[in-house]
Amino acid sequence: MRKGIVQLVAIGIVLGVLVTLVAVLFQWLPTSASKEFDRIQDIYWFATVISIVIFSLVGAVVVYSVWKWRVPLDDDLDGPPIHGHTGLEIAWTAVPAILVIALGIVSAVVLSENGQASSNALQVKAIGQQFAWRFEYPDYGDFQTGELVLPVDQQAQFTMEAVDVIHSFWVPNFGQKMDAVPGIETTILVTPDRTGAFAVVCTELCGLGHATMRAKARVVTQAEFDAWIAEQKA
Amino acid sequence: MTATQHSHDVHQYPAHFEPPHGSTWKLLFGPGLVRGAWMAAVGFVLGMLLVLVLRAWWSWDPAWNTEVILVVGGMVFAPLGFLAGIGSFDYWLYYISGRPTRPEDHSGHGAHSWKDYFRVNTDHKVIGIQYLVTTFVFFTVGGLMAMFFRAELAQPGLQFVDSQTFNGLVSVHATLMIFLFIIPAFAGLANFAVPLMLGAPDMAFPRLNALSFWLLPIAGIMFIASFLAPGGAFGAGWTGYAPLAEGQPLGQTFFNMGVQWAGASSIMTALNFLVTIITMRAPGMTFWRMPLLVWANFTTSLLVVIATPFIAGSQFFVMFDRIMHTSFFTPEGGGYVLGYQHIFWFYSHPAVYIMMLPGFGIVSEVISSMSRKPIFGYRLMALSLLGILVLGFSVWAHHMFVAGMADWLRVPMMITTLLIAIPTGIKVFSWVATLWRGRIHLTTPMLFALGFVTMFVIGGLSGIYLGSVPIDIAASDTYFIVAHIHYVLFGGSVFTIFAGVYYWFPKMTGRMYDERLGKWHFWLTFVSFNATFFPMHYIGLRGMPRRVFDYESAFGDMNFVISIASFVLGASFIVFVYNIVTSWVRGPIADANPWRARTLEWQVSSPPPIFNFDEIPQVVGGPYEYGVPGARHAVMNPAKEAQEVHA
Repeated sequence: MRKGIVQLVAIGIVLGVLVTLVAVLFQWLPTSASKEFDRIQDIYWFATVISIVIFSLVGAVVVYSVWKWRVPLDDDLDGPPIHGHTGLEIAWTAVPAILVIALGIVSAVVLSENGQASSNALQVKAIGQQFAWRFEYPDYGDFQTGELVLPVDQQAQFTMEAVDVIHSFWVPNFGQKMDAVPGIETTILVTPDRTGAFAVVCTELCGLGHATMRAKARVVTQAEFDAWIAEQKA
Repeated sequence: MTATQHSHDVHQYPAHFEPPHGSTWKLLFGPGLVRGAWMAAVGFVLGMLLVLVLRAWWSWDPAWNTEVILVVGGMVFAPLGFLAGIGSFDYWLYYISGRPTRPEDHSGHGAHSWKDYFRVNTDHKVIGIQYLVTTFVFFTVGGLMAMFFRAELAQPGLQFVDSQTFNGLVSVHATLMIFLFIIPAFAGLANFAVPLMLGAPDMAFPRLNALSFWLLPIAGIMFIASFLAPGGAFGAGWTGYAPLAEGQPLGQTFFNMGVQWAGASSIMTALNFLVTIITMRAPGMTFWRMPLLVWANFTTSLLVVIATPFIAGSQFFVMFDRIMHTSFFTPEGGGYVLGYQHIFWFYSHPAVYIMMLPGFGIVSEVISSMSRKPIFGYRLMALSLLGILVLGFSVWAHHMFVAGMADWLRVPMMITTLLIAIPTGIKVFSWVATLWRGRIHLTTPMLFALGFVTMFVIGGLSGIYLGSVPIDIAASDTYFIVAHIHYVLFGGSVFTIFAGVYYWFPKMTGRMYDERLGKWHFWLTFVSFNATFFPMHYIGLRGMPRRVFDYESAFGDMNFVISIASFVLGASFIVFVYNIVTSWVRGPIADANPWRARTLEWQVSSPPPIFNFDEIPQVVGGPYEYGVPGARHAVMNPAKEAQEVHA
C-alpha cells in the first residue's frame, strides 16, 4: 500500500507541475495598468493556487485508480464494500469550506479597497449609446470626447449613463468593469498606474453594432493631461 | 425501432370501440399528426379573427397588428389546436363533457412499431425515448448553428453573415441547447429510468406526461422559426435582457413565447416526478433506499417547480412591454431595468442546477456499478443535493456583480456562491473515492462519467474565480464566461447525458451499442472539447468580450484554432449518431442486466415489459450494495430468483 501512495503522490506532483506550467508559461492576464487590477491579480493567483491543488488531487486519484484497478470487461467480481469514511467526509467538507471562506474574505477586502473613493478623484462621465462611448469631464467644463484620457496615478471616478439599452464599460488592462444602465447611475473607480494606450470595450450585448462599440483610452502624465484638457476647451 | 415482444393482444380496441367510419375519416378526424396539422391551422385563424374582431370593435387603427396576431394566433391558439389535434386532451375532454370515457385499455401503452413514437403515447418508456430522440434532433440543430458562427469567428471581421444573423445564431444556439436539449434530455432519461428504479408501473400521471413531451417540439419549432420572422431571429442573447429585447424586431416574441411552452413542459414533468417519487415507490423503497438518480430528479423537480415560473414571468413582462405598452422594464414609464435581471436570474441560476443535478445522479449510477463498489457516502451524496437546492436559491445576483445592483448585495451573494463549492466538492470527492480500490470497467458510459468528473472540476474551479467579486468584475461578460459555462454544461451536463444514453441504451432498445465506436466517440469528443473551450479562458481574460462577431486581430490565431477544434467536436457527434442508429437497428441483443447493476430497472427484461414489473418488487436493501455478501436491493419474485446475467 505504501508503494501505492508513493505512486499516487508522484502522479499528483506530475499533474501539479504540468498545470502550474500552463498557469505560468502563458500570460493569462493582460498587463495591469491600474492599482485596482494589481489587487485583483493577487486574488487571481490565490484562486489559481487553490485550483492547481484541487485539480491535481482529483486528477491524480482518477488516473491512479484507472491505472491500478482497471479490470477486463468480462471480470465478474465486486470491489470491497466500502460505504464511506466519516473522517474523510468531514475533511473534504471542512477543508474546501476553509479555502472558499478564505477566498471570500480576501475578495471582500479587495472589493472594499477598490471601492474607496478619495475626495479629490477625477470625475469622468461615461455615456453609452448604440454604438459609441462618449466621455465628459464635468470638473473641467461641458465638452464631450470620444477618447478617454486619464492622468496617471490619479484616481478617476466613472459615472455611467446609458441612453438607450444596457452597455458595459471595460478596459481590460484596468480590470474594472461596470454596466451603464438606462434609468440609473452606476459608478466605478480606476486608478491608472501605467501610461499607454488601451482599449475601451463594450461587454454587454447592446445590438447590431455591439462588437464595434470600442473607444481608445490613453493614460498620460498630469502635464499632458492638463494640456489635453486645455485643447479640448479651446 | 424497438419492437416490444409483449402482449400483442392488449393494444387492440375491444370490438365495440371500432370507429364506425372509414380509414380516410379516421386519418382526418382521429387523433394524430394530420388532425394536429389542420387543427393548428384552425387555431391560428381563430386567434387571428379574435384579434381582428376585438381591435376593430374598439376601433383601433390599424386592426391588423402582425405581432399581436402572431402571439395570439400563432403562438397560443395554433399550438393549442395542434395539441388538441394530436389527441392530448381527448380523454380529459370526454371526461369533462360527460361523454363515456374510453375505459383504460392500455392502448396508449408501449410501442409496437416506429409509428407509435409519433403518437400521443402514455407509456413512460416510450415518452422517454420520444424525449431523447427529439432533444438530440435539437442538439444537432443547435450544434450546426454553433459551427456556423464559429466559422464566422475564425477570422476577425464579417465574412459569412450579417450582424443580426450572427446575434440570432448565438441566441438561438444557446436557447436550443438549454431549453430543448439539456433540460429535456435529462427529463427523457429520467422518464425512462425513474419509474423503473422505483418499482412503479409508470409515472403518476401518464396523460400529463405525454402532454409535457408534446409541448417541447412546439417550443423548439418556435425558436427555430424565428429566423423566418421579418428582421431575423431573436438576437438579444438567451438572457434576453431588457430593454434591448424590447426594441428588437419581431423575432424576439418567438423567444418570449417559446420559453413559455418549454417552461410549461418542465413544470408539468417536475410535478409528475415529485408525485411519482413521493407516492409510487415500491414496498420497502424508503427515501434512504432510493438510487441517487431518483434523489437527483427529486431535487431537480423541486427546483423546477419553484423557479421556472420566474422566467415565465420575466418573458411575459417583456412581451407585455413590447405589445401592450406596459413599462415593467422601461425607465421612461417608471420601469426598473435591473428588475428584469433579478427575476430572470432567480430562475436562471437554479436552472444551472436543473441542468446539472440529474447528471450528478446519472454519474453516481454509472461510477458505482462500473467500479463494482457502493457509492461512497450515500447519505451525504443525497444530502449534498438538498444543500445545493437550498443554496441555489440564494446566489442569483452573482450574475449581476457588474450590473449596477445594490452594492451591499455583492458580498453576501459571493459568500453563498463560494459555499456551493462545499456540497459540490463533497460529490466530486465521493465519486473519486468510489473509484478507490474498485474493479473498474472502462466502458463508454464510464469513460464519459470520468470525463465528466475531471471536466466538471475545471468548470467548478473557474466558477470559484467568478464567484470572487473582484475577479468577476474583470472576467464578466468575456469569453472566460463562455469557457466556464461550456465546461459546466458541455464537459458537465452533456458528458453525463452521453454517459446516461450509453448506460441505458441496452435497457431502452434491448440491443447493445458498439463499444469500440463508443470509445472513439469519447476520445474525439474529450480532446476536441478541450481544444475548443480551454483557450477561451485565455482570450476572455486577455480582453475578448462575448457575443461579438468582430474582435481585435490579436485574437485571430487563437480563434482560428478554436474554430477548427469546434468542427472536430461537431464531427465527433457523427460517430455517436452512427453508433446509436446502427446498434438500434442491428446491434447484438443485450442481456437484461449487462452491467450487473443492482437497481431495479436492470432486474427486468431489456426492453422492459409494458407495465415494467409483472410482480411488484419488494425492496429490502440499499441500491449499491456491491461486494456485500448476500445483500439484495430487492426481491423480485421469490419463486424464480432474479438471475445474475454475466456480461
